[in-house]
Amino acid sequence: MIKVRPQLGGMGGSDITAPIPASRLRWQRGLSRALFLLPIIFMMVFFALPLALTVVWSVFERTMFWMKPGFTLFSYENFFFSARLDNFLSSMMHSSVSVVVSFVLGFPIAVFIRRRIPQVAQHRVILLFILPFMVSEIIRIFALRPVLQRTGLVNTVLLELGVITEPITAILYTPMGVIIGEVMSFLPFIVFAGFLAMEAVPKYIFEICDDLGAPRHRVFIDIILPLAAPGIFAGGVFIFVNGLGVALLPNILGGPGAVNAGLIATQAIAALDFPLAMAVSAIMMATLLALLYLGHRLFNLTRILSPIN
Amino acid sequence: MGDDYTRLWTYRLKWLYTLLVVFTLMLPVFYVIYISFNQNGFGARDYVFTFEWYSGIFTDLLLMNALGNTMLLAAITTVLAVPLGLIAAKFYKATGTDRAKLLTVSLLLSPLFVPADILGSALLVFFKNLNIACATAGEWLGVSWFETWFELGYFSALVGLIIYTIPYIFVVILITMGRYKEQQSEAARSCGATAWQAFYQIEFPQIRAGVFSACAFTVILSFNEYTRTSLLKGGYDTITSVLISQMLNEGMSEQSYAMSSLISFIAIAVIGSIIIYTLVHTDRLEREARAKAQPVMSS
Repeated sequence: MIKVRPQLGGMGGSDITAPIPASRLRWQRGLSRALFLLPIIFMMVFFALPLALTVVWSVFERTMFWMKPGFTLFSYENFFFSARLDNFLSSMMHSSVSVVVSFVLGFPIAVFIRRRIPQVAQHRVILLFILPFMVSEIIRIFALRPVLQRTGLVNTVLLELGVITEPITAILYTPMGVIIGEVMSFLPFIVFAGFLAMEAVPKYIFEICDDLGAPRHRVFIDIILPLAAPGIFAGGVFIFVNGLGVALLPNILGGPGAVNAGLIATQAIAALDFPLAMAVSAIMMATLLALLYLGHRLFNLTRILSPIN
Repeated sequence: MGDDYTRLWTYRLKWLYTLLVVFTLMLPVFYVIYISFNQNGFGARDYVFTFEWYSGIFTDLLLMNALGNTMLLAAITTVLAVPLGLIAAKFYKATGTDRAKLLTVSLLLSPLFVPADILGSALLVFFKNLNIACATAGEWLGVSWFETWFELGYFSALVGLIIYTIPYIFVVILITMGRYKEQQSEAARSCGATAWQAFYQIEFPQIRAGVFSACAFTVILSFNEYTRTSLLKGGYDTITSVLISQMLNEGMSEQSYAMSSLISFIAIAVIGSIIIYTLVHTDRLEREARAKAQPVMSS
């Protein structure tokens, strides 16, 4: 129950009817202002600062167990002029493929939920997609191994049904396996991002298109895509960057020699080569910032924020 | 175009596709649960249904130790991160300038776009540097009480987890606050309530559902998080690191399968209860709204 008694000076502790001294008010106001800035300060100190410092640390020299302040581009040379660069580029390509696959599989679901399901029920259906996400990512990725391997679920089912005569070996320990793993891990995010992005498409538009006689694919290409583009792009960047960064995916599903940026960084740390790990991190951050800037120029990404305003 | 009822079968087909996708996404989890009930472990030909691995969890010291650490981390993360997200959401709603809003949102949502390993490595190096700085400062000043502040351990793992979960908390709370009318707080303040009273007695009961679901998310997310915690935690074990090390090295013990299935069960139960709660709640709200909208007979 709401208990607000109209009484000067507030209530609860003591029944103060005298005005609060001005100095104490100023102190309280300063404290509350500092309190409200706390999350921002926390994020700046523990998030923005370390990421900015990766650039600084990446030019340090490497010592036996740690690194020495200095300026050397050795780590960058190490990265660019070795097989790591090829691996990095091919992992970027695999990530892009999984973004496209996730989009094709997941965005129609978001459109369907927005358009065909009554308003009150929409959030519940979205919650259904949170379900696989709530189960540990490692369990999901690891559990793909017994499903996709030679003697695994997929192959046994297909063999028993007689669709194939020999087990398919190309779906695990290959780039295909990594792509499957990425799509499985990140499909819910495209659904969320698409769902939020579809907020930008007003419902009356579809009636207008119907009255004007527009065919279905034109509606999709000319109306839905451009309006929902910022959200889709954000979701796509999320999947792309996480596909590049999650070391587990190529580690468990990729087979020999498969790496992505995250795995390179983790291996570098395991080898105590910290400047190299920092160099990889700095390159990843640069890629991410470039992508976000590009998206902002193309789509004006601040429109994504309208659902939560 | 037609609506749902003239093109019923397309509608049903699309529903079927959606449910199929959800089922496929959950398939590996179901398979793990299936394995965990098998007495002969993973990959055996004969399937014998048994609960024995589940009881075996509680005697497995490694798992129990890791479970304790993980639960502690999850609890403290929730206690710290949810208020932080709440404060940030109120701040976001309250600031007027566009620039401040943009800064808040970009800072708070960016952890979503930074992959786990990169953030983990950057924070690792950051903490180690802070460690060195504290150690040298300690020697220099002759005091040692702050030397272990930033060592890799609970604190660093907590920071990593808070940064990981804050975007989700922020978005959930903001969406819940979207339905709250600010005029009620203003009315309360003009009646003489302090800001805390206006928040706690008026706003909080209305956004309580959102805050609690944010808490549930945080607990589940920190339970399941691996990369950041493994890089930042230092010496002790957590559930996820035990699972991964077993996975990569010797193959998972049967108790680990049972443990993962148990965690999955709990996660599914929590989300399922949230879904059912909103189902029941919105039906009740709709009924109340309809009852209130009935014209009252005046005599």
